[in-house]
Amino acid sequence: MEGEMMTGNLAAAWGARLADVDYIPAFPITPQTEIVEALAKWCESGAMAARFVTMDSEHSMMTAAGAAAATGARVFTATSSQGLLYALEVLYSVSGWRAPLVLVNVSRALAAPITLEPDHNDVLAARDSGFLQIHAETCQEVLDSILMAYRIAEDERVMLPVIVNLDGFYLSFTREPVIMPDLQMVKAFLPPFRPAHLGFKASAPHALGVAVLSGTPYSYFRHQMHLAAMNALEVHREAAAAFEQLVGRRYDVVEGYRLDDADDVLVMTNAFASKGKAAVDVARAEGKRVGLLRLRVIRPWPADAIRHALQGRRAVAVLDQNLSPGQGGILFQEIAACLYHEALRPRALCSFIGGLGGKNLSEGELRTVFEQTAEAGVQGKGIGPVLLYTEAEHREMVQLQDLATEHRA
Amino acid sequence: MMRTVRFHGRGGQGAKTASRILGTAAFIEGFVAQDSPVYGAERRGAPVAAFTRIDSGPIKQRGVIACPDLVVIADASLIQDPAARVLDGVNERTAVFVNSPLTAEQLQAQTPLLGRLTTLDLTTIALQQCGKGGAISALVGAVAGRLVGLRRDSVREAIARELADLGLAATQIERNQAVAIQCYDTVRTVPVAPGAPQPTASARLQVPTYESPTRGTARISAAANSILRETSGWRTFRPVLVPDKCNGCWLCFAYCPDGVISMAKDDRPVIDYAHCKGCQICVHECPTEALVAEREKEGTVAWKAK
Repeated sequence: MEGEMMTGNLAAAWGARLADVDYIPAFPITPQTEIVEALAKWCESGAMAARFVTMDSEHSMMTAAGAAAATGARVFTATSSQGLLYALEVLYSVSGWRAPLVLVNVSRALAAPITLEPDHNDVLAARDSGFLQIHAETCQEVLDSILMAYRIAEDERVMLPVIVNLDGFYLSFTREPVIMPDLQMVKAFLPPFRPAHLGFKASAPHALGVAVLSGTPYSYFRHQMHLAAMNALEVHREAAAAFEQLVGRRYDVVEGYRLDDADDVLVMTNAFASKGKAAVDVARAEGKRVGLLRLRVIRPWPADAIRHALQGRRAVAVLDQNLSPGQGGILFQEIAACLYHEALRPRALCSFIGGLGGKNLSEGELRTVFEQTAEAGVQGKGIGPVLLYTEAEHREMVQLQDLATEHRA
Repeated sequence: MMRTVRFHGRGGQGAKTASRILGTAAFIEGFVAQDSPVYGAERRGAPVAAFTRIDSGPIKQRGVIACPDLVVIADASLIQDPAARVLDGVNERTAVFVNSPLTAEQLQAQTPLLGRLTTLDLTTIALQQCGKGGAISALVGAVAGRLVGLRRDSVREAIARELADLGLAATQIERNQAVAIQCYDTVRTVPVAPGAPQPTASARLQVPTYESPTRGTARISAAANSILRETSGWRTFRPVLVPDKCNGCWLCFAYCPDGVISMAKDDRPVIDYAHCKGCQICVHECPTEALVAEREKEGTVAWKAK
């Protein structure tokens, strides 16, 4: 087997190393810590020329990251879950400065109750921050996406920061073969960072993110960020082509799996998409015409690619590994919205909520998803949000509740 | 029919409180009222606007009043400041009140204004009768109340409520009420026609195209451009040096929040009047009373700190 065994976290660290970043402000949080530990080690040994600084919080970390990027440095940083939320305020400033750094988020479900394992409420809380978002399925994709992220972020047509997301545990601590791109190829793919609007020169002072009152300039600048994010669709296409040419691997904004003649399509993101693909294979072997659409780029929202992949299907199921209390699955809403004007929109849209807090997504649950989706397609009536949570799991839950409430003499 | 009043003043003068006095007075009389201010970073002397709407039924409006029935200008220097936009939406049917020592005719001769103009020198009245400069909110509110036709007693009560809300002592409130009612009674009224039509033509939308972040980001690269923004018009009072009282201690230099005081070789302050905003901090801090506050324009030395 080509490549070497590597966790998702180490792949993320290698992404930063190969991108030859200048500055890494860091703060540890499970399950991200391994990333900054690896980078600290490399900076200490001289394997990397970057300046590594431990910060007092994620809020300071993002502030330092944005400020450094605003001086024209190439910046990498990483966090997870509560850390991302603590930094959230700063995310909006960094994107408003149009400071194109790369932030890796290792998804971990949010407290309370507190846990360590993944779902996507953390990264989706940053959905509207102006950071672009790439969600990776494999350790290889983590590394490759970081390189693509810098190329896209630093493009003059975009100049927005990017979050590359990987699932805690399922990728962060999971080893699998990763092929390291050749450093010369990376250099060809990723030209030096020379932003026209950023930099630090005493002879040429400038102010970023200045106060703008009355709403008119604010509207203009926020809309510019929207245009920049939309430009990232085209820039991603170019970056994907260049990356494929140099490295031989291809990543598009969405990935279709066995879609060609599929009646029903399951929409997923991140690491569990691997299990979704396996479930498609099982169903296909049983003669069911199903496929999978994996959303890789969430911001910008690849509406055209999604419409193209989902139009004319009998039924579409969106498996959200997140929950907006009082609403349901976050990505389901966005899929539904972008299909509304489609003349050939699917007869049924189904919403499933699964893998919350890293709960296993079993083969049985995925089979049930396909069965219920097929039935919804036949009926022409969507369902959901349906929680993927089994009877057996609930029996365990009841036992825990009994333990938690039993009064001992 | 809705009555709309737009107040213009400078931060600290009380335009916002005046708009609330008017709103409360109308509310006391049984009207539905709505008042709201707009301002930026709270800075003494910066242009401030406030809006009061009065109607007999629910008010389905918010925020800026583009074409008011009455414009109340608490500081005449704002008329010259295009950024303050005090004359926006003013036409022949608009009533305009200006706090000025000039008569309406004198002011018209100096600065031609559309609209039905009336003036009263509220600042001088406040200085003479309340003993110090600063907020003239009760006076401005009372004049506005008179012009839109609200009753004397409701204006008096509204002043008490709003100034109590600001924490003024009962004696101060009574003094303000008395002086304000005097202004209510002496201002020359002009007709205020309610229901000024607001612009409702459909907007021509523009979708901006993408620009390089050099232009498309909230970024200022023009060095030292704050020099270009003169703020002398923000002053009601200017600090003036009495050289033989100055002991050369540099405290004024240290305390000036805008850095407009530089020190000459003889340890005497030199004030950049193009950028001094008239906050009077130097006057308050000067230990020898060598800096005195002098009223801008027509006024003489009207008030001294300490």
